[in-house]
Amino acid sequence: MALNALFSQLLIGLINGSFYALLSLGLAVIFGMLNIINFAHGAFYMIGAFAAYFLMASAGIGYWGALILAPVMVGLAGMATERLLLRRLAKMDHLYGLLMTFGLALVLQGVFQVAFGSSGLPYPIPEALTGGVNLGFMFLPLYRGWVVVFSLVACIATWYLIERTRLGAYLRAATENPSLVRAFGINVPLMITVTYGFGVALAALAGVLSAPINSVRPLMGADLIIVVFAVVVIGGMGSILGSVITGFAVGVVEGLTKYFYPEASSTVIFVLMVLILLVKPTGLTGRGIEATQSAVAPEPASAQGRERVALMVFGVVVIGLALLPLTSVYPYFIMQILCFALVAGAFNLLIGHGGLLSFGHAMFFGSAGYITAHAVKVWGLPPELGILAGVAACAGLAALAGAISIRRQGIYFAMITLAISQMLYFVYLRAPFTNGEDGIQSIPKDRMFGVLDLADTTVLYYVVLAGFILGTLAIYRTINSPFGQVLKSIRENEPRAISLGYRTTLYKYVAFILSGTLAGFAGSLKVFVVQNASLTDVHWSMSGEIVLITLLGGLGTLLGPLAGAFVIISSQHHLAEFGQWVTVLQGAIFIACVVAFRRGIVGELAKVLKISL
Amino acid sequence: MTAEHDTMTRTALKVGVLNAWYGESHVLHGMDFDVAEGEVVTLLGRNGAGKTTTLKAIMGLMEKRSGSVEFGGVETINLPANRIGRLGIGYCPEERGIFSSLNVEENLLLPPVVRRGGLTTEDIFDLFPNLLERLYSQGTKLSGGEQQMLAIARILRTGAQFIVLDEPTEGLAPVIVQQIGRTIERLRQKGFTILLVEQNLRFATSVADRFCVVEHGQVIDTLTRADVDASTAKLNSYLGV
Repeated sequence: MALNALFSQLLIGLINGSFYALLSLGLAVIFGMLNIINFAHGAFYMIGAFAAYFLMASAGIGYWGALILAPVMVGLAGMATERLLLRRLAKMDHLYGLLMTFGLALVLQGVFQVAFGSSGLPYPIPEALTGGVNLGFMFLPLYRGWVVVFSLVACIATWYLIERTRLGAYLRAATENPSLVRAFGINVPLMITVTYGFGVALAALAGVLSAPINSVRPLMGADLIIVVFAVVVIGGMGSILGSVITGFAVGVVEGLTKYFYPEASSTVIFVLMVLILLVKPTGLTGRGIEATQSAVAPEPASAQGRERVALMVFGVVVIGLALLPLTSVYPYFIMQILCFALVAGAFNLLIGHGGLLSFGHAMFFGSAGYITAHAVKVWGLPPELGILAGVAACAGLAALAGAISIRRQGIYFAMITLAISQMLYFVYLRAPFTNGEDGIQSIPKDRMFGVLDLADTTVLYYVVLAGFILGTLAIYRTINSPFGQVLKSIRENEPRAISLGYRTTLYKYVAFILSGTLAGFAGSLKVFVVQNASLTDVHWSMSGEIVLITLLGGLGTLLGPLAGAFVIISSQHHLAEFGQWVTVLQGAIFIACVVAFRRGIVGELAKVLKISL
Repeated sequence: MTAEHDTMTRTALKVGVLNAWYGESHVLHGMDFDVAEGEVVTLLGRNGAGKTTTLKAIMGLMEKRSGSVEFGGVETINLPANRIGRLGIGYCPEERGIFSSLNVEENLLLPPVVRRGGLTTEDIFDLFPNLLERLYSQGTKLSGGEQQMLAIARILRTGAQFIVLDEPTEGLAPVIVQQIGRTIERLRQKGFTILLVEQNLRFATSVADRFCVVEHGQVIDTLTRADVDASTAKLNSYLGV
């Protein structure tokens, strides 16, 4: 009996492994040609499943037709996406591709959520594959067996196509040297378009396969893609076969964990990723392609003297904010903006000045919230010690997460921080002290330092404002210190910085800890403002929001995070009634920022006024 | 032979007031020259004079270029690179451009056939017997000379009658250089038109009919093979040797 259960978990593992393999294969194919980590891959997977559903519901086309038509349709949509959007990023840093496809994923998922809500639509198993066979040691549902076999065939066919055919030779050659292949008379831009279409068609194929097993939901790809990122980090993206094998292997490991230690089943892949990174920082295939270090923040900060302007403007803004309680503006709203501006500022320190895109800053923001809330509510600590506990915990967390991730650059760094953050999300989901979905509610508002009564909104406002000023000045000081200068030089040219004798990894590590600690500080303050600590703050969408605020405000600017937070938080407040349209809007802003104004609001303003803000 | 092409043959390539830029920096300042069918022309010049850039601009591989590049009577200045290649120009880039993720056979078969009348694989192995022995080796595992052979061989297969070679002798042993010289001579006899860039003056004078001396992105002088002996001093001053 127990053996029976083991085999059925193993089968589930293989099925999940099939999806991991198909998705990471598509990611690898796309990365090879376009140098883009396709964050929208999960969304295309979801659309594949929806396409199968629509074909059934509106045209009466069943599973077998959908298995061919849905990938073709999604592939064509992918080709249009490449032509209209991704092509514009061809010569830019890999990170912009990640950001744009993240925005695209938000738009696509948001639109489907608006149309279908979050619950699932049923999709039947095709008649020919209903039922199952008893293999003696286990009962094998036919459809599940089919998924595993068919995925394997699709993966091998893809491998054959790329490694053994003429077309594949063009593809490999164009990956190495696109302009030479073009000079031979091959239409490389068309090949790039088709490759992207092919990659997302593989995702859609996985979506169709999964429709009868997991119901058809708008967010079905959103969490999956993060797991697939972890798979990609484990396997490395250098080899086609590597990503297929890693995909299946990781699925099996996950299945076995479900049998032997079910509590860890949602985190095991991330743990595996961490362990492998500790032993072999380049991933299993060891051919991890590092993004060439280049300046993500568009314009390097200008001459020293001009920095003063930014500080002066900051002073004016602070005075304005300090006078705010005299007006009738709702302070609660401004306090939230300040907290988000601070966490975005912390993130900005890392990307704008260190060139490191962390896609996991929610882990600091949310963790600090939980620790502070728990310390104040359960341990009965006064607010200042609660904040201290949250901040200290985040410093420790940043030290750990940084040790794992800092040796990788560019997109890998982004994927690893995202995966670590997602792992913590699952930990908090299950940990008893966080109350799971409910979160920690009604945080007591004691007197801070024994005198400041946080129950008084005005007092709380000034405490938060003081925290914001303190944090921002700390960031300003860091950027303008010798340490900050070295950081800038690393962002612009790491090999050169190394050749000058700097231990660049150490500098980046310290910057990461500093950034994580400050992000934690913002998270701790926010607990007193919103009166709860919940899963929302550790979710990947929060990490995305932090990235968006910074990008919109202006990477590498002192005032950008505040401007970005103002726009994003206000739009959330004012558009709350439109539900998921807010997600769509945020995704659209993401895309617009990457395509049209990479300097962000403050950056563009500074350019027009020819000053540094 | 040089007197003959002046009157009898047609122009294969006509480059007029060609300008090209790398980002903001202006590299070619109005290149003017032409190549007659069946002719072997060499661009000579110092490092950084714009020789390689000229070839890349002809192939449409520069981000920004202006002027005129007529190939076989077709204006190509506004064509994308892949269309230019299809007109029948075989390009062998600097450092040979052998693909490491492809084996020798795949490298050889990679460029698509653009015209009839290209060399068959038998002809190619006849010309470069080494390649047959190493057919399934990884492309970049070949020696420098073999890689150069492969880089030339793969464009002969396509039927292109116009061959563009960027420093085919760079970094090769003298005996290999001689072999490449013989290969170019055989190609000329077969009727190929060849445009090449060379730093090796002795090699260039042994294979080319005409020389265009390039300086600061312009052709400052043109010499025929007959002129060479008389103008050694002038050439040396151009090339700074």
